[in-house]
Amino acid sequence: MNRVWALSVITYKEGIRNRSLFGILAFALFVLGLNISVAGFFMREVGKVTVDMNLSALTFSGLLLVFFVALHLMAKDIDKKTIQLVFSKPLSRGEYILGKYLGILFFVVVSLLALAVFSIATVSLVRGLYPNYFAGFSWPIFFTAGCFVLVQLAVLCAILILFSTVTTSSFASLIFTVCVYLVGVTIEDVLFYIQSGFRTEAISPVVQEVVKVVSYILPNFSMWDFKLEAAHGLAIGAERIGLGLGYAAVYIVVLLALATLFFQRREFN
Amino acid sequence: MSVAEISLKNVSKTFSPGLFKKKVEAVRDLTLEVGKGEVYGLIGPNGAGKSTTIRVLLGLIRPTGGEILFRGEPPRHGEFQKEIGYLPENPYLYDYLTLEELLQFCGRVSGVGGEERRKRIDELSGKLQLTEALRRPLRTYSKGMLQRAGICFALLHDPAIVILDEPMSGLDPMGRKLVFDLVLELKEQGKTIFFCSHILSDVERLCDRMGVLVRGRLARTFGKSDFAAGCEAAVHLLLPPVEERLRPALEGLQGELVSVPDGLLLSFPAERLPEIAGALTRLGIGIRGTRSSRVSLEELFIETVGESS
Repeated sequence: MNRVWALSVITYKEGIRNRSLFGILAFALFVLGLNISVAGFFMREVGKVTVDMNLSALTFSGLLLVFFVALHLMAKDIDKKTIQLVFSKPLSRGEYILGKYLGILFFVVVSLLALAVFSIATVSLVRGLYPNYFAGFSWPIFFTAGCFVLVQLAVLCAILILFSTVTTSSFASLIFTVCVYLVGVTIEDVLFYIQSGFRTEAISPVVQEVVKVVSYILPNFSMWDFKLEAAHGLAIGAERIGLGLGYAAVYIVVLLALATLFFQRREFN
Repeated sequence: MSVAEISLKNVSKTFSPGLFKKKVEAVRDLTLEVGKGEVYGLIGPNGAGKSTTIRVLLGLIRPTGGEILFRGEPPRHGEFQKEIGYLPENPYLYDYLTLEELLQFCGRVSGVGGEERRKRIDELSGKLQLTEALRRPLRTYSKGMLQRAGICFALLHDPAIVILDEPMSGLDPMGRKLVFDLVLELKEQGKTIFFCSHILSDVERLCDRMGVLVRGRLARTFGKSDFAAGCEAAVHLLLPPVEERLRPALEGLQGELVSVPDGLLLSFPAERLPEIAGALTRLGIGIRGTRSSRVSLEELFIETVGESS
């Protein structure tokens, strides 16, 4: 475990000192600042818009962190052959996968916590300016939704690790991870549409089956999306929280196990 | 008979680049042994399979055939890595880490205790003149400094076997001397060293045995003693450019005459030195200097590569 910890520490340091991080944080701060300046335009909806905008800013910044910084923390090791140096030490491939994952996760968590501080300040400020429109707002629900943004990113990091172990270029890992994320956030709606009676056009049974199979294989990101509940101040049941966390944990373990399996077979020339 | 530290027995490696592409035989039926405390140099032209051999040895790639033994047994992961230190060609290190952080990581994963780790970091950074740069991000390092940092990374856990892939690559003359002295020191400490290089003078001065790898095959192996015997018999005199009318007389001296950028090089057996010196005096040709046996190693190398191609 000492070896895993040592690798995760250097991975975290390498990520947190990356200059791209400042650009992403600046973008998030801009969105939060924009939220303060335009909040007045929404009048009765100001509370909902503020919460939604804050959680969306956190999610989008988290995605940028994963796609543009975390991606390189593993892919660069393979692209630049640093991994050959690392594997010349007594570190197994499974330990490498776990160490890299934990390092990337620490990096994402710390970066997002820094942003969360600004987000909390933004919500508090807007709430102070328009107290009448925050009647349904609840900090615990807001924090729960914020924590589930982290859970989404934790799963996404595991997907990224898996693709980094099977592809030969970081660009391919990026494309595959983005695709899985896009399918993951929309699959529930697509499935709902196919199964509902609202559709106006006939959909072939093959497509319906394919969508169903894909929905079983790929993670359903809407399981961890509580923006709507946070915006409207709707309570999130303990069973939904438990189910969401369990679903994420199982996914992460399976993805990392698969990544280790693929990595053990991989050659580093 | 003592067991070799590293043995490669009939090792082959064929790469399959993909559908519709020709397979590449990088290493073919390679057999070699490196004994304890021995310095073995693997030389060969670009693409000969030197780096592939090292990667097969380290377990980074799987051999297509053959067997690799470490002290007579198949290498066990963890134990083997604790005993080896590896420097790849042009190492790429983490941009945003400092050398100290990188070496701390190296020590931790290799199981070197805190106090010992600190001691080794100070010692190695001092030897390789990186003390001032220990706390600087590695992305600010020059190519030569990165190479030296890579050597620190390879040696931090005081391995018994050191594997160096082009250790002098990217180093200036001072850097080369530093690394050269360090390798000599490792040799004196009884470490087993296996290295690949294009710089034949380094191979000649450092190695006990040398192997010439051509197109993945070990074309020739020679020990230092074999090589020295061949060299002692030869004297290489550097002569100025001579007029055309003197060339037949020079060629008649029964030595080997070759053109070099600054004149001519006349090689002949050592016992003929008085006779040749007299003949040169009679012809009015001065001697500019002598060349060491390095030329002979180059010749041997070129000859071996030529024969095997």
